[in-house]
Amino acid sequence: MNNDEFARLVREHHRALIGIATPIVGPSEAEEVVQNAWLKAHRSIGQFEGRAQIRTWLGRIVINEARMQRRKRRRESLFSDWLPAEDETEGDIMAERFSPNGHWNTPPMQWNLDTPEALLLREERAECLQKLLDTLPASQRAVLELRDTLELSFEEICNELSISASNAKVLLHRARLKLFRLVDHYEETGEC
Amino acid sequence: MLNSCRKVVESADQLLDGTLPWRQRLSLRLHLLLCNACRRYLRQLRALLRAIPFMHGEASDEEVQRVMAHIQTHPDQHS
Repeated sequence: MNNDEFARLVREHHRALIGIATPIVGPSEAEEVVQNAWLKAHRSIGQFEGRAQIRTWLGRIVINEARMQRRKRRRESLFSDWLPAEDETEGDIMAERFSPNGHWNTPPMQWNLDTPEALLLREERAECLQKLLDTLPASQRAVLELRDTLELSFEEICNELSISASNAKVLLHRARLKLFRLVDHYEETGEC
Repeated sequence: MLNSCRKVVESADQLLDGTLPWRQRLSLRLHLLLCNACRRYLRQLRALLRAIPFMHGEASDEEVQRVMAHIQTHPDQHS
């Protein structure tokens, strides 16, 4: 792969990789981790066999780099902010949308944009979603990125992040609901 | 039994993952036959999940140049 082709890969995946590294090492070190990951990817791109998606392959390199960075910094736990209390205080994210008998009080808006392309076409809405990703708790962001960006299995996610499957599922559910609620709110009001 | 919209929302991840036990899946499908709002919720959630890998956007010229410069100045540092 020549430099122009590699630069195209960087353009396409760099920000997603930053998104994967950030919840693991924090925003101040994510750039360094991803830079080192690109270096390794550049050296071993010839070994990429195309069995996995390229982003999944790159994502695994980033996760390894992030783990090494944490070891270098002698951090014991993977997430400093990964405390159960952080999520328990959030309660039921969609609770206000339902009546006491469990039926919709406020049903979802009709988005009229059922394709991914349409969802991200409006710049303000795409910016809102990016902002929300940046404000998710690190634990929720990490599970969301590994599951929905890299498409790792729950087993792999639990191994990578040293958490239980039930914890991973709760974190993923909350992160997805927040994204859904944001798009729904945007469709209703035109604001984040 | 999955007989409320709230339960549909709670079970949606499992349904989309294909890990919902068959009894609950059947019950949820029956609910969906009758509930337009839940069908809309699931349809839009699917679209949202498909969009997540693209939400980060493309790197800027500056970001790309920084990575390429890093590679060119550290050719043998990592093995």
